[in-house]
Amino acid sequence: MRAPARLLRIAGVLICWLPQLVAAQAVAPSELMRLLASAESSRATFVETRHSVLLKAPLVLHGTLAYRRPDRLEKHVLQPHDERLVLEGDRLTIDNRTRARKLTTSVAGSPAIAAMAEGIRATRAGDLAALERHFEIKVDGRREAWSMSLRPTSEQVSGYVSAIVVTGAGSRITRFEVQETSGDRVVTEIREEIR
Amino acid sequence: MKPARLAVIALWLLGLAACSAWLARNLSVDAELTVFLPPSTTPAQRLLVEQLRDGVASRLILVAIGDGSALELAGASKELARRLRQSGLFSFVNNGDPTAFSREREILSANRYLLSPAVDAKRFSTAALQAAIEENLELLASPAGPFVRHTLAADPTGELRQLAGLIAPQDGPSLQHGVWFTRDASRALLVAETRAAGFDVDAQKRAIAFMREAFAAALPGTGRLELSGPGVFASQMRDTIHAESWRLSLLASVLVILILTIAFRSFALVAACALPVVTGLLVGVTAVAMGFGTVHGITLAFGATLIGEAVDYPSYLFANAAPGEPLDATLSRMGHTLRLAVLTTLLGASAMAFSSFEGLAQLGMLTIAGVLAAGLTTTWVLPRLVAPRATERKLVAMNVPSLLPRLLKFVRWPAVALAAAALVFVVSRQERIWDDDLANLSPISESAKSLDRRLRNELGAPDVRYLVLARANDREAALERSESLAGWLGRAVAGGRIAGFEVPSAYLPSRRTQESRRSALPEVKTLAESLSAALKDSNFRQDAFAPFLESVARARSGPLLDTESLSGSLLGLKVSALLVENRDGWTAVAPLRGVQMPERLAAEAARADYEFLDLKEESNRLVNAYRNESLKFFALGLLGIAVFLALSLRSLARAARVLLPVLAAAVLDVALLLLMGRTLSLFNLVALLLVVGVGLNYALFFERPQEGVAERVRTRLSVTVCATTTLSVFGCLMLSQTPVLRSIGETVFFGCLLSVLFCAALSSPYARGRA
Repeated sequence: MRAPARLLRIAGVLICWLPQLVAAQAVAPSELMRLLASAESSRATFVETRHSVLLKAPLVLHGTLAYRRPDRLEKHVLQPHDERLVLEGDRLTIDNRTRARKLTTSVAGSPAIAAMAEGIRATRAGDLAALERHFEIKVDGRREAWSMSLRPTSEQVSGYVSAIVVTGAGSRITRFEVQETSGDRVVTEIREEIR
Repeated sequence: MKPARLAVIALWLLGLAACSAWLARNLSVDAELTVFLPPSTTPAQRLLVEQLRDGVASRLILVAIGDGSALELAGASKELARRLRQSGLFSFVNNGDPTAFSREREILSANRYLLSPAVDAKRFSTAALQAAIEENLELLASPAGPFVRHTLAADPTGELRQLAGLIAPQDGPSLQHGVWFTRDASRALLVAETRAAGFDVDAQKRAIAFMREAFAAALPGTGRLELSGPGVFASQMRDTIHAESWRLSLLASVLVILILTIAFRSFALVAACALPVVTGLLVGVTAVAMGFGTVHGITLAFGATLIGEAVDYPSYLFANAAPGEPLDATLSRMGHTLRLAVLTTLLGASAMAFSSFEGLAQLGMLTIAGVLAAGLTTTWVLPRLVAPRATERKLVAMNVPSLLPRLLKFVRWPAVALAAAALVFVVSRQERIWDDDLANLSPISESAKSLDRRLRNELGAPDVRYLVLARANDREAALERSESLAGWLGRAVAGGRIAGFEVPSAYLPSRRTQESRRSALPEVKTLAESLSAALKDSNFRQDAFAPFLESVARARSGPLLDTESLSGSLLGLKVSALLVENRDGWTAVAPLRGVQMPERLAAEAARADYEFLDLKEESNRLVNAYRNESLKFFALGLLGIAVFLALSLRSLARAARVLLPVLAAAVLDVALLLLMGRTLSLFNLVALLLVVGVGLNYALFFERPQEGVAERVRTRLSVTVCATTTLSVFGCLMLSQTPVLRSIGETVFFGCLLSVLFCAALSSPYARGRA
């Protein structure tokens, strides 16, 4: 009886540890995408900080982010000015209420901006194919603490942006960091609520 | 052999040799369309023709690369663009790849204070700088942040943003993997501009062949390359016409040789039939080359048709020879008629030779010299070359002594009635006879045209139909006018009357404008003070914009922008395409996109002292003028022929018997073509000239007083041989896939058939019951 009991105990421990063992393994891009794609919609608040040698103090923006499957992303800057950006399908609308300026363009018309916006949207959507159109992807970390580095492939973007580093936990995104070739860094901290 | 006979043959051979030798050294065939322009051409028309033959639009090749994954296609597009740029055959290659424009970006960046329309003194005041800096801060926080940041320190007033549209149009195709793609992403797009002029079909063909090879190397195995554009069309057209004319002329030659062999039963005679026309062509081309310096390609093409009549001369001679009769004796009987046949053609062409249109004058000269030489060869050389007994074996046509005359007698009045009805019909339709839209004669297939439309639409290429012109005496004045034109067109865009436009001054502003922009730049000390004041309460560091101060200082003391500093770049290309110099002075050309209500825009342009040019309408008007001129000389020639016939036949009645059936046939021919749903063009007019030329010959031979049944039989044989050969040659042309050739074929075939029937019924003495 003793030997089987011990075996059982070991098995029990193993069973308890199993999720952790699996999670401890490095997450594959495809798996990360599945995780991210599980979100139907999400709402978030963000704080975006630009660190630049040109500036006396970092430039800070506050606002909200909203995503809805399959392809609608809204970024609403509330502070220090009011600007609403909506990327839906191929259309990008920039509505600056502070300056009362509204502009709608097709993503095709401004490919560099499209790539940057797609970096956020396709990440949130878990759309690997869309990301691969613009970036070289590298994923590090575990399921509940992953980071993904996106290096732009188009020279149109790579001249300005060296990488976007996205960090997250499970299906949530916690941070974007845009590293520019000018040396500036733009860090966006996100508190996300997934539905 | 008699010495006289030898001397004639020797003289003839010597003449041929002299012509050949002279042509071998001096012949230059050109494709210069301006030769075919009326002297009354307006400056707009001259510009049109120059643009058609050598303008940028005429040199564009539109390319679509399909059949592959997007990544493969993008790779192929980049590789193809690289190979094309290296080849030296193309002055400009664009596949949307923004990295290809580094030189252009440098030029724009270095000259932004001269080029930007926003530069004026107010732009550098403290208040303006403060507003600009404020805006920059917001832009930095926008999705464009990384891109704004790049030029922010050197260009806080955003002049480069003003100029971005110059190298990357806002409404261009979308990019994938860094190159242009169609909207459905199925094909990569590319535009190439050949160095060679659009009218140089050989060079265009070389460029196209190179492109196909380069593509095969860039994307081996799979992939499909679709090409379009004027040069592509021209070379396709030439290929089609070449292939067809080979096939059809081979068929026609076989038929003609067959007919002549059956009729004359002698290979010597068949061979001799070719001599006058060959001599005529050689002498005619020599005469044009000597008289005009060069021979135009179109002259050669049409001239060969017009001289075609000369093929008939030897047939008349051989067929009319009585058994055993030396050809000299034959000539003494029917030489007068043969001379009339030659002279009527000469008269018809001589009116043309005096035309002030050089193209028509060349045609006239070629016909006169060629037909004269062919006539002389027939009357002088052939009798001395051909053995007297050679004509003996010829076919003796069946004698139909009673049936045919009676039959012809019956059809005489119906023929007259038919001709009268045809005349009424043609006159009633006179508004709708002509079609001056050359596009309808174009041998380009409908699928090729729709591919062209699709690619143009995808690439946002200009319609190439509407232009606005601003003229001036010199380059600077033209650039200044271009600047005010840009203002005017800008208002038209704002008013929604056009979607967009291009002007040369956007790429190269006038010196006056550049100078005023340069002098609007403040001194560095002043600018530094204004900037410092503007930055006082901002989040930017005081030293953040040091590169801006340097840039302005450099621009203030720097040189103005000129064509040399733009050369070899897209910007330089645009300037040379849009700023044209010709004998009318300098013209700034502004191609328009998306024109609404062109008539209204034209009227407004005229009020603002600009010229609105509708290329399609203008080219149609040109063709129209040309056709009217030809028609005038056609009528003059006919009048000359009528007077000449009345004088030389010494009888108005006889002249009428010769001329009227031919005219009736020509009118009926036109009526028939109209009933078949055809509209006529310049080409049909030339074909009608030939119809009248050969028709008059039939009439002259039928009308000629003839002694006895045997002579009448020989007359019938001669006209039958001539008519059947003409019918078979132009019947072959009717099989052509090329609308122009088919149209000429139809006109001559029906015209010739009607002529021979009408002449038999109305000119022949049989028909008047005098048999």
